[in-house]
Formats: sequence, C-alpha cells, structure tokens
Amino acid sequence: MRAFTFDTPATVADAVAQAGDGSAYLAGGTTLVDLMKLDAMTPTRVLDINRLPMRGIRLEGARLSVGALERMSDVADHPMVRARYPVVAEALLRSASPQVRNMASIGGNLLQRTRCGYFRDPDTPCNKRAPGTGCPARDGHNRAHAILGTSNDCVATHPSDLAVALVALDASVLLRNRTGERIVRLDDIYRLPENTPHLENQLHPGELLTEVSIPALDWARRSTYVKVRDRQSYEFALTSAAVALDVRGGMIRNARVAAGGVGTKPWRLPAVERALTGRPMRLDTFESAVAHAADGARPLAHNRFKPALLRRTIVRALTGLED
Amino acid sequence: MARSLLGNPVNRVDGPVKVTGQARYAADNNPPDLCHGYLLTSTIANGMVLSMDLGAAEQSGGVIAIYTPDNRLPLHGEPPFLPNVLGERRRPLSDHEVRYHGQIIGVVVADTFEQARDAAALIRVAYRELPPNSSFEENLDRGEQPPFVGLPLGVPVDIGVASIDDALAASQVTQATTYRHPPRHHNAMEPHSAVAVWKGDELTIYSGTQGPAAHAEELAVALAVDKTKVHVVSPHVGGGFGGKAFTWAPTLLAAAAARSLGRPVKIVTTREQLYTVTGHRSAVVQTMTLGAREDGTLNAIKHHSFTEALVEDPGVRTTLSFYATPNLQLRLLCPPGMNLPTPTILRAPGDETGSFALECAMDELAIRLQMDPIDLRLKNYLRTSLQTGLPYSSKHLDECYRVGAARFGWSRRRAAPRSVSDGDWLVGMGMASAVLAAGRAATTVRVLFRADGTAAVATATADLGTGMWTILAMMGAESLGIPVDRIRPSIGDSRLPVGPGSAPYGAIGSAATATVMPAVRDAADNAIAALIQHGVTHRRSPLRGLSVEQVRYRDGKLSGGGTTIGFGELLTTTRTREHGATTTNEVKESTEYVFGSYAAHFCEVRVNRFTGEALLSRMTTVVDAGTILNEKTARNQITGGVIFGIGPALFEGGHVEASTGRIDNANLADYLIPVNTDVPDIDVVFLDHPDPNVSPVGARGLGELGTIGSAAAVVNAVCNATGKRIRDLPITPDKLFE
Repeated sequence: MRAFTFDTPATVADAVAQAGDGSAYLAGGTTLVDLMKLDAMTPTRVLDINRLPMRGIRLEGARLSVGALERMSDVADHPMVRARYPVVAEALLRSASPQVRNMASIGGNLLQRTRCGYFRDPDTPCNKRAPGTGCPARDGHNRAHAILGTSNDCVATHPSDLAVALVALDASVLLRNRTGERIVRLDDIYRLPENTPHLENQLHPGELLTEVSIPALDWARRSTYVKVRDRQSYEFALTSAAVALDVRGGMIRNARVAAGGVGTKPWRLPAVERALTGRPMRLDTFESAVAHAADGARPLAHNRFKPALLRRTIVRALTGLED
Repeated sequence: MARSLLGNPVNRVDGPVKVTGQARYAADNNPPDLCHGYLLTSTIANGMVLSMDLGAAEQSGGVIAIYTPDNRLPLHGEPPFLPNVLGERRRPLSDHEVRYHGQIIGVVVADTFEQARDAAALIRVAYRELPPNSSFEENLDRGEQPPFVGLPLGVPVDIGVASIDDALAASQVTQATTYRHPPRHHNAMEPHSAVAVWKGDELTIYSGTQGPAAHAEELAVALAVDKTKVHVVSPHVGGGFGGKAFTWAPTLLAAAAARSLGRPVKIVTTREQLYTVTGHRSAVVQTMTLGAREDGTLNAIKHHSFTEALVEDPGVRTTLSFYATPNLQLRLLCPPGMNLPTPTILRAPGDETGSFALECAMDELAIRLQMDPIDLRLKNYLRTSLQTGLPYSSKHLDECYRVGAARFGWSRRRAAPRSVSDGDWLVGMGMASAVLAAGRAATTVRVLFRADGTAAVATATADLGTGMWTILAMMGAESLGIPVDRIRPSIGDSRLPVGPGSAPYGAIGSAATATVMPAVRDAADNAIAALIQHGVTHRRSPLRGLSVEQVRYRDGKLSGGGTTIGFGELLTTTRTREHGATTTNEVKESTEYVFGSYAAHFCEVRVNRFTGEALLSRMTTVVDAGTILNEKTARNQITGGVIFGIGPALFEGGHVEASTGRIDNANLADYLIPVNTDVPDIDVVFLDHPDPNVSPVGARGLGELGTIGSAAAVVNAVCNATGKRIRDLPITPDKLFE
C-alpha cells in the first residue's frame, strides 16, 4: 500500500470538488482496500464518502430510486425490490458473501474492478492496470475471462452480477460532478476495452455515482437471475443470465435478457429478446431463441465451454419463469 | 464417574479459550521491542538474481534491516529429517539461484508489518531469466524411478507372477484408466508464523507446529545451536494438514533475523506466499489397470503413479491395503528437477490420491461387470496383508458397507445413469471405501499429582484442532479416576517430555491418539506407584510406615492402615508441590496382526441438466477405527476429513502457468475450497469395536480416514447421475453440462 491522503468530505459538492485525477472514493471498501493492499490501485487521495446523504430506497414516480451508498444486503432484502424486481434481489444474493454484502455499496458494486488475476498482481503485465504492458491473460489462465467484447489488449470480465440485472431492466445512474449532474443509462456507462482497457467507464475524473434509478416495469415481477459458478457461494460467475418475461395467455409479449460472466461489460442480448417476443412460452422457443446468444464470441484456451454454457444458462433461467 | 467419560461426547477443554479469542496462536505473541519481517519472493521460476536495488526500500519508513542473498542470514546444515523428501533442503537466501516462482529472495525487517511489506514492494530485482521447466504435462515422459530414501516410498512392489502384463492378459476382463488431479495446497486457516525471542544463546520461538520437539531440533540444526537451547511454544495450531509437520523457511528466517538484530522478530507468511514457501501436494497422474474374472474376482492390479517429486506414494500406501489380488505391480515415477515449489506431505499422504484412483477404477469395473459396487468390493475383501500374509486385526469394513448401505438407502440406487431426477436435477449415488494404515508408536508422558488436587498430564505432541487437549484430559481423568476438570493437560511445547523414534514428529499420520492414549495409561500407573511410595516413606505422611502393598489408590485417594487421604491433601501435608513419574512406554511391532482403520462413504449428488453444477445433497460415512475415545472430536475429525475430500473432488487445484511457473490462483478467493453451501449433511456413524490387539485402549487412528476415498464417492455418484466418468479433478460444471 502506498501513502495517500485521506479526507471525509461533508457534502457531495465537497466530495466532487476535492476529487480528481489520482483520487478514489471509499464506500464499503471491499474492492478498493483489497486492491490498494495488493498495490494494484495506488490512489494518492482517498475520499471517504460514507457520511454523504446517498441513501434510501424509495419510489420516485413509478421508478425505484436506490441511493448509491445503500449496502448490497439491504437492497437485496428490501420488500419493494424483492416484489418488483426479483432479478435484482437474486443477483445481489448470489454475489460475494454475506459479510461482503453487508459492507459493499451499490455504487461500488457497479464500478468494481475486474477479478482478472493479472490485473490484481502488480508483478505481472496488465494493460488495464499499467497501459501498454501487455495482456498475459490471453495466453495464461483464462477460464474466468470474457468471450464477448474482448480486444487484443484485454479480456477481463466485468464482475458485477447486479449490473447484469440492472442492464436488463434499463436502469440508469445519476452522476454528480463539479458543474452539476447528469443521468446516463447504466448500459452506456461501461466502455468496451478496445485499445484503452484502463478506461472502464464514461465517468469523468472525480465524478460521483450517487443514485441508481430503475424504471417501472410491471412484468419484471416475473424475472430471475441464474448464476453458474464453480462453487455455490463467494464465487464469480462462469456465466449468468438476468431474464424478465411478459407472458400473457402462454405467449411471450416482451422479454429482457442480459448475460454476465461472459462480457467485458454486462452483456444485454437484444437479439434473444426479439427472438422470444411473440413466441409461445415453451422450451423449444427458449432453445431456438438462444441459438445466437454467443454470436461473435472469441473463446480462449480455458473457456471454450462458455458459449454453450451461456446458451444453457439462459434457457435454464427462462424455464424458471414458467408458471 | 471419570471412567464413563471415554467413548462419550465431551466438549473441548480448549473450546472456551478459542471461542473467546484468548487462545494464543504463534502470531498473537508480541514481546517488547518486537519488529516484523516480510518475505520478498521471486517473480521468475528459473534463473539468477543478478542485483537488487534496495535504495528506496532502505529509505522507507521504519526499515531496520534487509536480508538478501548478498546479505545473508546465517543458516546451517540441512534439514535433519529426510531432507530430500519432506521439506526444503536448501536454506533460504543461501545463493542467487532461483528454482521456482515465489522463492524467498529477501527479508525486510521493519518496526511494523505494514512498513516491512511496503518497503519490500519498493525493491527492484534484476534477474537473469531462463525458461522454466514448470509444465507437469511436459514432464510426463521424463519420469524416473526415485532413489531409495529409507522408507517404502517409491519402492517398486511386485507380487505374484513375474510379468504383470501376462497376468492382465490372462484375465477375463481388463480395464486401464488414467486419473489426474492438480496440485493441492494445505490452506490451513493459520498461516505459518513465527515470533523469535533470543535471551543470550537461548531461543524461545512461538511457531505453529505439528511436532514441537522435531521443530526445535530442525531449528537447532539450522541455527547451529544445541537443541536444548531451542524452546518451541505452540499450544494452539490453526490447522496443520501436514503443512506444519516440518519446518519451513519463514520460521528459520525469523529465528536467524532475531539473533542477528538482537531483538524479537515476527514473520507472518501471507496467504499468497504460503503457496510457494511452504509445501504443497504434487499434481499426480495415475494409471490403474485392473484384471478380473467375470465374477469380479481380481486377478491383477497394476498401479503406476507420476508425481512432481518423491513425497507421497499412492501405490504403496493405498493399493497394498485395499483388495486381495494374487498379482500386483506398483510403480512411482518422478521427473528430475522441475521449477516448482517444494512438495510435502498433505493430509492422508498417498492415501487420498491413491484411493481416488483405485476407488474410481473399482466403480468403473463394477459398472462394466454389471455388479453392485459393494458386491465387487466384498468379492475382493482383503483379510490378510498382501506382503506379510498376517491377518488384519479387528477389521469390520464389511459391516461399514452393510450399515452404511442401510442408513443411506443404497438399495434405491439405480445402476443405469440418468434414471433418477428431481426437477431439472439428475440424481446419482456413489460409494467408496477408505483404508488407513493404523500406526502406533512409543512415546513419553509425564503425570504429576499436585498439592492443589489437580494432576498434570504432559507430552510434547500437538492439537491441530484435532481434539488432543481434550482426549488427553479425558484419558488422564480416566486413568487417575478423577474428574476431567482436575486434569491439567500440557502439549505444544518442546520442553515437555518427548518420546523416542517418531514421537518428536507429534501429531502426524493420524497416530497421535493411538500413540498417546496408551502411554497416558502407563504413565498414570507409574505416577500412582510413585505417589504410594511417597506416601509410605515421607516423614510427614499419615501413611508412613505402611508397605506399598498395604496402600491402595482409588479415584484420587490413597487408603491403607485405616487411613484414607486425597492426593492433594497428602502432598500438602508432606509440603510437596508435585509428585509423579515420567514414563516412556514400549510398543512392540506386532508379529501377529496388521492394523488398519476403515470407512465406507456414500454420496448423493444432484447435477443440473442444463448447466452441469454438481451439488452434493447428502453423505453417509461409517467408520471402524476401534474404540472411539471422544465421540464429539472424532465426529468432527471425520466430518472435516470428508469435506477435505469434497474439496479436490469439486473445487480445488493450484493453477501453475506452464510458461512462467507462477501459481495463478494463490489466494482464497481464486483457489476454491468448499464453503458451507457446498457441504451437505454428513451422517457419521462409528461402529466402535475396540481393537484389543492394537493397545489396551483399543483405539486406532482416524484423523485422515474421512479424506480417503471421499472424492471417489463423489466422482462415482456424479457418474451414476449423469453417465459421465470424470477422471480429471476437479469436477467443474463445464465437464458435465454437455
């Protein structure tokens, strides 16, 4: 860990005024502190935002607003979240461990760094951590790595389960900066690595994610999150699927599908959604709809199973929404 | 009262201090003037350290000293116990050569741990790097017969006809299958830690170890001091699993740095460093060829193993003690000099690995012969040693099968895979056997009666979480006829009485209970005799003048000549603080029997038909290990052992990058071990048939028994559920879903 200055700004305005290049916001600390101890992140200034008024889970009109400092466990347990967006509650409960969920914030979860072992080990090259040094994951151990949205410079998987559920629900986030605030669709926040994998999102230096907003979606009550992983708790996804279906009279009228564990960002699958829409709620519908779910995938030596596993994960999730 | 303790569930006597955080593990010791060492490890696997730029680190806050190959800490000789086999022969920092990724190349000592760690990160190392020979797969054709090391490790075994291949060819059915598992790491909760304090030329070192006396001896050799000058203190050990059986570099460096600096030094190995600077279990490839008659009778077994280095022998340790066969060939091959960290023993050495291959192969043979897997095992039931012909003493493995099958509901198993499902989950059942060679050694125990009415029972063994504190107290209570709360057990200290032969190794080979408990009984008898002698001779004693034959000891009291007096009162009266005896018992190798402990494992698994995750739904393990001394700690050992077998079956394995020799998953987030959700209900049953031939106590070892065969039970259940035979552990979803 490198020496850094530590401040606890009293207001959001104060926080964004103090932040900038080389600074890092500290919420639950479950990612940042780990990475600082590993020397994989070396902020010169740490701003503890835990006292800022970025809390609360409430309806704002028809949308559900979640403060960025809400803890994962509190959001997962919230009656409105469980009733209206089961996919969100399930994605949270399948993340991390109870201890981590009690500490980790929603904002931090969405902006957490990848679990790629090379990113976390400063003794190895990594284009994301040290631009231009190379990507050993391409030829190294890459079982957990991405197959979609990858580039020659980076194949790191986006680790958040929550983000997959929220991208499926078309959630947006509120960003505060020195000049004001802006609302951005969560799906648009994440950047593909291309040749700048160190730039992971569209946040400007010092910009603060203060709130998550989930649009009303009545039929999201029929939604679920399936996560396939190498053990049943405290493990990241090999593949995951967030699905929601609007089913009436045995016919699918509308669908939301997003995938995790496979992309360099949460991976919305509009083609699968279209292929489901207007079709009967049956296994053969699901199987034909996912046929192209992994199109464009670039599997690596240790994750050649991921395209097939992804298709099966989505099918399993969809069958879970049958009456 | 006291006698009824044995065989009953007794709470751990060390439980309260552990759950209240008062138990002192090595790293909990913070003597005055303490400073902290941090290990610097290599980032290449093969080559030389050319130079180290220490400038920034030396200027970093709190730094006291930096030791490197150019500024060595004096460490001498080589490890006294099987230096080529069980530990690291080369002393740390002794030259510039780098032999594996993660090798210690420096130690930074600073006022705090954080200062030492952060300074270590500032050191820039220049290497001359050579291509590493770190690929296990690429070495498979370079295997050689290892040299003889004085133990039956890697020694070829041939029983029966001259050509095993002829015997196999003459068999009605032959089956050749190959089984693989990756490197395995101990991952004890407590990392290797040491706090070294010198006073003059005497060292006190707090360091977690399975054998305090052996640890002291290893330190004495390395530090070139007499072993009486080294005092190892290790009352509590946060898991050993073989990884703390021998002394590793962090402890040696703490002792040497403390001597060099003239102040106490603590070194706590980080989790990542544990993967390379302490031992691991080698990856193993085993080819198992079985020849049998159509009725299942084995005619030949050919078991060939390949490991990174000679440490464990799956063939000898396992295949010799499972099944009757007229023809047998065992071979172990190892490649010379790979650039990998040093392997060592790991819980159930040889047996865990060998039972995985053998018990999977037997399941495959049963399927092929359309036999029930239990019937095939009974058909080849081993009653006499394959090597000596001596009978197995008190062996009830057949009863384990029978009792287990009934409790588990084995009759509901369908032989055809994919016949049973529960929603989207395919359900399967599998079983496997466990055999553990049951050793027992001589040791030395001191029993002292004290004037305060307590009795001290002491011996230099260790409690790795295994329950030794508790059963030592129980056995003392039973032998002296007093309540367990009047026994003061002492272990985990090299200054305590230590026995001959293998006794200094302490808690090793699942033999601690079988070794120590009979010795406590002998020591108690001698202490009672000494107490009576004291009573009839001491001038202040009310029993003075009686002959020893006239005095009886019973339940803590001496009676004779119409007088009855408790030992506490007697010693108070004679102004004697404590009185008793130190006894070394004798254990003769049996010329009539061979000894083993046995278990049958049953496993039910559910495999998702879409995505292939294998979830264990329940397990049953039936154990035959002679007398069960404490049902609670014994159950805990078996349950933990079964989970220790579930780990490699479904999750565990070190990922060595062939091109760099780096272990990619050297942390507890990426190296997967089972978590609670992964562990099913485990029904443990003890048959509790005392074995009168092993010792008067009748107890055989069981610590490693749960681990032996349990992975095979999982593999066999998965095959029954899915029809897929996984021979390459761990069983991950991608191997099952298609």
